Amino acid sequence: MEELDLLKKDWQKANAFEQISEAEIYKMLHKKSSSIVKWLLIIGILEFVFWNIVTVFINDEKYQLKINEYGVSNFMLIINIINYIILLGFIYMFYKNYKTISTTDSTQQLMKNILRTRKTVQNYIWYNLAMVSVTIIITIIMLFNHNPRMISLMQNQTQEGHYGFFVCICVVISIVIILIIIGLFWLFYKLLYGILLKKLFANYKELKKIEL
Amino acid sequence: MSPELEQSFVKQLKENQNIIHKICRLYTSGDDAHKDLFQEITIQLWKAFPKFRGESKFSTWAYRVALNTAITLYRKSTRSIVTSSFDTTNVFIKQEEYNYEEEEQIKLLYEAVHQLNDIEKALVFMYLEDKDYREISETLGITEVNARVKMNRVKTKLRKILNP
Repeated sequence: MEELDLLKKDWQKANAFEQISEAEIYKMLHKKSSSIVKWLLIIGILEFVFWNIVTVFINDEKYQLKINEYGVSNFMLIINIINYIILLGFIYMFYKNYKTISTTDSTQQLMKNILRTRKTVQNYIWYNLAMVSVTIIITIIMLFNHNPRMISLMQNQTQEGHYGFFVCICVVISIVIILIIIGLFWLFYKLLYGILLKKLFANYKELKKIEL
Repeated sequence: MSPELEQSFVKQLKENQNIIHKICRLYTSGDDAHKDLFQEITIQLWKAFPKFRGESKFSTWAYRVALNTAITLYRKSTRSIVTSSFDTTNVFIKQEEYNYEEEEQIKLLYEAVHQLNDIEKALVFMYLEDKDYREISETLGITEVNARVKMNRVKTKLRKILNP
């Protein structure tokens, strides 16, 4: 192409950039990076911390007393232990993926590694949302079986012949609550990662398109 | 990291800084964005420097890290609206014979390149830097054949932008 060769001719002789001094380069070395990898790391750590705090809050003393009262403390202890093992597994995977990110890889490989790191955090979020849903379901079942007010309310409804209707309403309300919680989190993460990785995604797709 | 390492890095970067300037010129418009990307590339190069063993030339190694930073790591959107304020004056300073027709054409070419997407810009950049298809394919992580095909498409696209 003639045009591009014309540009090349001009490109190779044009070196009139304002030169940066050694002192300025030294200064730059100590500045903070604002790359998306750094942000992924920060967001990842915050996420692990956030979901841990949520778990700790759910397990407060009142909740523990209730659990003992309802006789499911052993069951909950096992759930907690499994939860922490899975958390450690996620942290290990996140750290391992993060370490493989290297700017000296090819562009496509670098993008793959970054997306894999994000995927780990994303899976962790899905895992937690599933746990929240399960917790809500267990709580509702426990309410039905152990809470005196709930039991008397149910007896009243049964006497009036509304048992089926009452259970249906309860199930629908629970599902709606779970869906709203998951929906809100999904939207939040969609926005968060959407903003952060929009450009990377676009470029990744572009590279993939070349390979088709 | 040791002061010797830092010193050697700064020296080599200073000598090779035009590579980074050129990438900044393709991927940003405006002085502030240019400086911002330059700084991010410098930080990324410095981070990767301990792994640089001198098997390749500093410049060859820097190409990849700098391009990866511009395409992948840099957060700010680089797909800028084409502005006529894009500074091309420094490009012509050293031309002794002024050829207005050619000058105008080069200006239009730079504007056309600015309209390309990040990956296409990378191809153009490496073409302008006289890189062969092997190096282009290795840098981007695509096959040599696909790099060739894509390069031809980019040329067609540029031609279309120039002659709508």
